[in-house]
Amino acid sequence: MDRVSTGVPGLDAMLGGGLIPARPYVVSGPTGAGKTILAMQFLAAGLAKGEAGLMVTLDEPPNEVKANVVAFGWNLDRLKILDATPDIKAHKRQRSVIDVGTTMDVRDMDQVGEIRQSSQIRAMEVSIHGVQKMLKQEFFQRQERTREKYKRIVVDSITALKMFSMGGEDSRIMIQSFMRFLSELEATTLLVSERLNPKILETEFFLCRGEIRFHKSLDGNVIRRAVSIEKFRGSRFDDRVRPMSITNSGVSVDAQGVVAMTGGRLAALGQEYLEQRMGEEVTTVIESVLKMVEDAHRMRMAVTDIEHAISRAMLQIQRRNYQKAMKAALHAQSVIRERLEKARQGPPPPPPPAAPPPPGVRR
Amino acid sequence: MINGKIHTGIAGLDRMLHGGLVPHRPYIVSGPPGSGKTVLSMQFLLEGVQGGERCLFVALEEPPNEIKQNMRAFKWVADDVEMLDANSDIRRFEPTPVIEISTEVEPARLRDIDDRIRKTPDFESHEVTVHSLQQLLKTLFIKRRYDRVVIDSITALKYFCMREFEESLTTQSFMRFLAESRVTTVLTVELPEEGVAPPEAFLARGEIRLHKLRDESGIRRFISIEKYKGSSHDEFVYPFEIHSSGIAVQVAEAGKGPAA
Repeated sequence: MDRVSTGVPGLDAMLGGGLIPARPYVVSGPTGAGKTILAMQFLAAGLAKGEAGLMVTLDEPPNEVKANVVAFGWNLDRLKILDATPDIKAHKRQRSVIDVGTTMDVRDMDQVGEIRQSSQIRAMEVSIHGVQKMLKQEFFQRQERTREKYKRIVVDSITALKMFSMGGEDSRIMIQSFMRFLSELEATTLLVSERLNPKILETEFFLCRGEIRFHKSLDGNVIRRAVSIEKFRGSRFDDRVRPMSITNSGVSVDAQGVVAMTGGRLAALGQEYLEQRMGEEVTTVIESVLKMVEDAHRMRMAVTDIEHAISRAMLQIQRRNYQKAMKAALHAQSVIRERLEKARQGPPPPPPPAAPPPPGVRR
Repeated sequence: MINGKIHTGIAGLDRMLHGGLVPHRPYIVSGPPGSGKTVLSMQFLLEGVQGGERCLFVALEEPPNEIKQNMRAFKWVADDVEMLDANSDIRRFEPTPVIEISTEVEPARLRDIDDRIRKTPDFESHEVTVHSLQQLLKTLFIKRRYDRVVIDSITALKYFCMREFEESLTTQSFMRFLAESRVTTVLTVELPEEGVAPPEAFLARGEIRLHKLRDESGIRRFISIEKYKGSSHDEFVYPFEIHSSGIAVQVAEAGKGPAA
C-alpha cells in the first residue's frame, strides 16, 4: 500500500512507512509541543513532491503562521492558506455577524502580508459549516483551474473550530459531518487538536483513523519532548514513546531512541480503573463480614473488635487506601469466621462466603 | 459449542468466558480509541462466517471501503461478511429535506465493497437516525436470519444519530430491540482514556473491556470480563496482543492462582 510521508523520517518509520492516504488523522498534544510545526512540515513535504497543500488556519492569522516557520527554510510559497480566524466581534446591535463562508480568503503563502483587518461594517464569525463551505469552494475551484486536487490538508485547529462554533450535542454531529466531508475529498488530512480533558471522549479522537500524540515535560529546567502513535487503523505501528526535538530544520524524531518515563503520568493510565475494581472487591469482603457480624449478634457473641476493624477498613476505602482496606477486611473476615465456627461446634458450619481473590494482572 | 455457547473467534477469550457467549443476546465490547474493539468484533464475525453463519457488520464510524482496506493487514478471508454502511453523509444546512437511511438500503458483501468512499450525492444526503437504523435492521432481520451482528459503535449511534432523542432512554430501547430480535450482537462502546464508563455499558448482558496502558515497552493491551449474566467467567485481567492473525489473549492455565 502506498503511504504518505509526514515529512519527518523518524515519524514515518514509527508509522510503518507513513500515513495511509485519503484519511483524516489527529495530531494532539499540549500547547507549544510542536503540532503546528509538524503540520507545516507535512505540507512542505507534499509541495516538494508536487502535491498541492492547503492550510486552514483558525488559531493564528496567516502572517503569524508564516513568520513562525520562516526559520525552518522550507519552500512554502506555493502553499495555499485559508484564513479562518474570526474577526473582532462588532458589538453593535444592528450589525449582524456574518458567516465566514461568505468571504473567501485563500492565498498563496508568498502573498501573505499583514494581518487582515476586521471588517468595519460586518464582522465575520467562524462556524464549522462556514469553514466547510469555504473549503469545498476552494477545493473545486482549484480542480477547475489547475486540474489537480489538494492532496494534503491541515486544519489548525479543530479545537478552535469546535469552540467557535456552537457547543452541545450538535457540535458532535457537526464534527462527524466535517470529518465525513474531509474523507470524501480524498485528501490526507491532519487535524490539530489540543487535548483538553482525557476524561471526556472527544468526537475527533474516535473518528480519526490515527492519532499522533506529542508529549512535553519538564526535566529539571530542560523541556523534554516525545511523540507516540496512539492509534493507527489498518497498519502496524511502533507503539513506544520516542524522543523528538525541534531543530532548525523542523521536527525530528529518533525512531530508535528510548524515553525514560518519569513522573509516572503516562504509566498511571488505567490506575483509576484498577482502583475502582479493587474498591469493589473490598466492598464484597466487607459485606460478607457484616453478614457474619449479624450472625454473631444473633448468637450473642462479642464482636466489637471486628466491628472496629471493619469501620477502619471502610475509612481506608474512603481515603482510597484500597490495599490497606483489603488487608484489614480480610483479617477481620478470617477472625470472625474462626470464632463463628468455634461457637457452632456440632452442627456443620454454614459455608462461609469465599473471599474473592484480589484483582491483579496475571501473565 | 460448549453448553450451547458460541465461540468468539478468539480462543483465549472463549476460555475467559468459560466456553464462549450465550447466543441470541447483546454484548458490549468497550475500550478507548485504538484498543482493538473493531478487530475483536471482526474476528467474532469471521468465526461465524467460517462456520457458515450469516454475519452483518453495521459501520457507523468508518466508511466500509476503509474497513475493507484495514482488514487486508490481517490474514483473514472475510469476504462473506455483510457490511451495512450506516455512516451519515455530509450534513446539509439548507432547508432541503434529508432522507433518512431507508429500508431500501441493503448490506453488501465485503468482497463487493468499492475501494473508494461513497460520495454524498448533490441533491439529497443520507442521514442515519437511531429510528431509521432500527427500522432497517428490523426489516433485514425478518427477511433473513442473521446469526451474528456487530454494531460499531453504539457511541457513534448515540453521538450522531440521536439529534432529537433522549440519549439514555433511546440507547436502552435500541438494546432492548436487539435483545428481542434474538440475534447474538456485539456492540462496541468508545471509552475515554480515563474516568468512568458511560451508562450504555450497563445495559448489555455482558461486557468485555479492553484496556490500553503505556509503559517503557510501548502500548500494553489487556482484556477483562466486566460482567457476564447467566454464566460463570474469569475474574482476572489478561494481557493480549494484536498479531497479523488477529487478537491473541494469553490466558494462563486454569486453576492457577493470580499473580497479584
